[in-house]
Amino acid sequence: MTGSKIRNGMTRLVPYAFILPPMIYLMVFMFWPLARQMYMSLTNTKIINPNRGRFIGLGNYERLFDDPAFYLSLKVTLLYAVLAVIFGVALGVISALAIDRPFKGRSIVRAILLFGWAVPNVAASLIWLWMYNDRSGIFNRITEFAGIGRFGWLTSIDLALASIVAVTVWQVAPFVMLVVLAALQSVPHEVREAARIDGADGLSTFRAVTLPHIRPAVQLASLLVCVWSIRRFDIIYLLTGGGPVGTTSTLVVKIRQTAFEGHELGMASAYGAVGLVLALAIAAVHYLAEQRRMKWMSR
Amino acid sequence: MLKTIHRRNFLAATAVLSLALAASTADVSYAQSGEKVTLRIANSQWLDALRGKNLWAVVQKYQEVAPNVTLEQEAIPSAEFADKLTTEMGAGQGPDIAIMQEGVFYAMADAGFLVDVGKAAEGVKLNKTNDNGMIDGTRYGIAWQRAAYAMIYNKPVLDAAGAKVPTTVEELIASAKAASAKTPGVIGFSARHQMNDLSGWYMDFQSWAYGYGVNWVDKDGKLTIDTPEAVAAVAAFKQTYDSGIIPIGDSMPTQRTRFKEKHVAFSIDNSGGTLNIASGGALASADIGGAAMPFKNPGAHQQIFLGVSEHSKNQDEAIKFLAWLLTEPAQKALREASGPDALATDVPVSEAYAAANPWAPTFVKLAENSRSTLIPGYEVETMEIMRFVMQAVEKVILSNVDPKTALAEAQSAVDKQF
Repeated sequence: MTGSKIRNGMTRLVPYAFILPPMIYLMVFMFWPLARQMYMSLTNTKIINPNRGRFIGLGNYERLFDDPAFYLSLKVTLLYAVLAVIFGVALGVISALAIDRPFKGRSIVRAILLFGWAVPNVAASLIWLWMYNDRSGIFNRITEFAGIGRFGWLTSIDLALASIVAVTVWQVAPFVMLVVLAALQSVPHEVREAARIDGADGLSTFRAVTLPHIRPAVQLASLLVCVWSIRRFDIIYLLTGGGPVGTTSTLVVKIRQTAFEGHELGMASAYGAVGLVLALAIAAVHYLAEQRRMKWMSR
Repeated sequence: MLKTIHRRNFLAATAVLSLALAASTADVSYAQSGEKVTLRIANSQWLDALRGKNLWAVVQKYQEVAPNVTLEQEAIPSAEFADKLTTEMGAGQGPDIAIMQEGVFYAMADAGFLVDVGKAAEGVKLNKTNDNGMIDGTRYGIAWQRAAYAMIYNKPVLDAAGAKVPTTVEELIASAKAASAKTPGVIGFSARHQMNDLSGWYMDFQSWAYGYGVNWVDKDGKLTIDTPEAVAAVAAFKQTYDSGIIPIGDSMPTQRTRFKEKHVAFSIDNSGGTLNIASGGALASADIGGAAMPFKNPGAHQQIFLGVSEHSKNQDEAIKFLAWLLTEPAQKALREASGPDALATDVPVSEAYAAANPWAPTFVKLAENSRSTLIPGYEVETMEIMRFVMQAVEKVILSNVDPKTALAEAQSAVDKQF
């Protein structure tokens, strides 16, 4: 074997060498635990004896699909994710468009708008918990002052989910704003200028010029906000713990309840598996949409 | 050649030195493990303001009689205690000794994580607070404290309003409203009322349930959730909730702090919680009154047990610590730090203590007939069962579902699962 052949062989191996460390990391910290969780969902494992679980086949899934609380939590999860995406992305895009053009004090406004993203979730939840407080919270002070009385922002069946969504939007909109702001830099100034000279109004310019450029960024931000919403635990648990009457009980909150209050690790894993399928389905939809868009653009 | 010899000599000397060092190290560590023992004790009360410090000071006295033992705290917040201990023990780790609520104690014993501590109680006259520490003929737990529930009130606020101490729920609502009206900013009645505080709420609610004569299980061991007594208890709680005297949305720590700061007229709390309220706040302990709850029947108590972990490497030392804790001097010291909580042996509250804390004797008296928060025969599953009950209570207080329908739904869910 000549030296050049050996060198060629080595060169071919280089990419694998680079991929190997992240692959090992993913295998150890993602795929293996995921496989364990999938297996656990087929057992009757209890949290107080995690190594003594017995294989019960699809028993947990049977119970899960027979439980009305599961369908309620699935509905709440989807509703919460959809509302967080709609309002979070809309607010993020509007904020990005607003601060894209130069004005006095722009950097201060930008810093203020980023505040929600910078505050840790637990701290944010505790701040909002006090703002929502029935007796001494700022919101009820305002509504009382306005003469419309007090509201149970977190304790009313009608308002709890909306209140949680409001906190979530406050947290994720700055992230969307940052992503869209970066994408807005790619919109050629001349094209916008040409549209303006041609007499296009602001909305038409946005639709025909700006939107096509920022669409991939908006899509990506929507996907991330959606997946984060499905996974979100801290804000919901700290503000309502899944209540009142299960109106904010998402799949993740149910996982916690099942594992730690019900001690049923096997059943909690089944809930987790459903959440995983949900997140994968959403990612698949995004992927297909992206593929279609690329195909359309290459025509 | 010379170099090689030198190298050989050097290697040989190094090997001999290493062996000698290893041998001496092994001796030292063996000697240390024989002489010095560290016992880690888990308890949520270590974090309580003032009371935690006092309780720890009592426990630490053991180091005076057993100088080879070092005690270490594992302070876990009350809301996370069950989760953390369960996870630790499930993973084969955790403290040497756990001071835990009765429900957690049963789950731990059921999983085989606790050892027989009967040796610690040999020759000791234990009182009935230790009864549930014996499971299937083996003693897994020694009583640490039993905290009965009672009604407490802010005496100056009641006096100002001329309100009377209530004996029924209707009177409670009337007196609470009168107190709030007379002293602006004062909350009428504090009570847990949210599912995000399930572990505390279900125990508190047991006093309402027992007060209305509820038995969650019948003579044959069948779970009975939708009985007329349970319907009456839920209806009474809804009546109280709807009257507007409860600070909706406030957590229990917040409500207790408000009581401490003279902003609450009435509360139904256990003796541990009341001791917390009476310690270090604006409201003097002498200004807190205690009375029986406004129900016909006796209420509930929270029971806390000490157990020794199966995973502990120092089980014998841990059992010796328990034996010391049952001695008269230790129990007397524990009495001073525990307020009116019943202890493992009968140690009366001193007259001086009762005079300084007029609410204390009520708790002592109510503890004589109070009932465990656990469902007999379903001790390990109590919290799961009570989740269905409390979901029904939540549905009743937040929507227009009537108690009978909500409890019937809970009954059907319980029947399906248990």
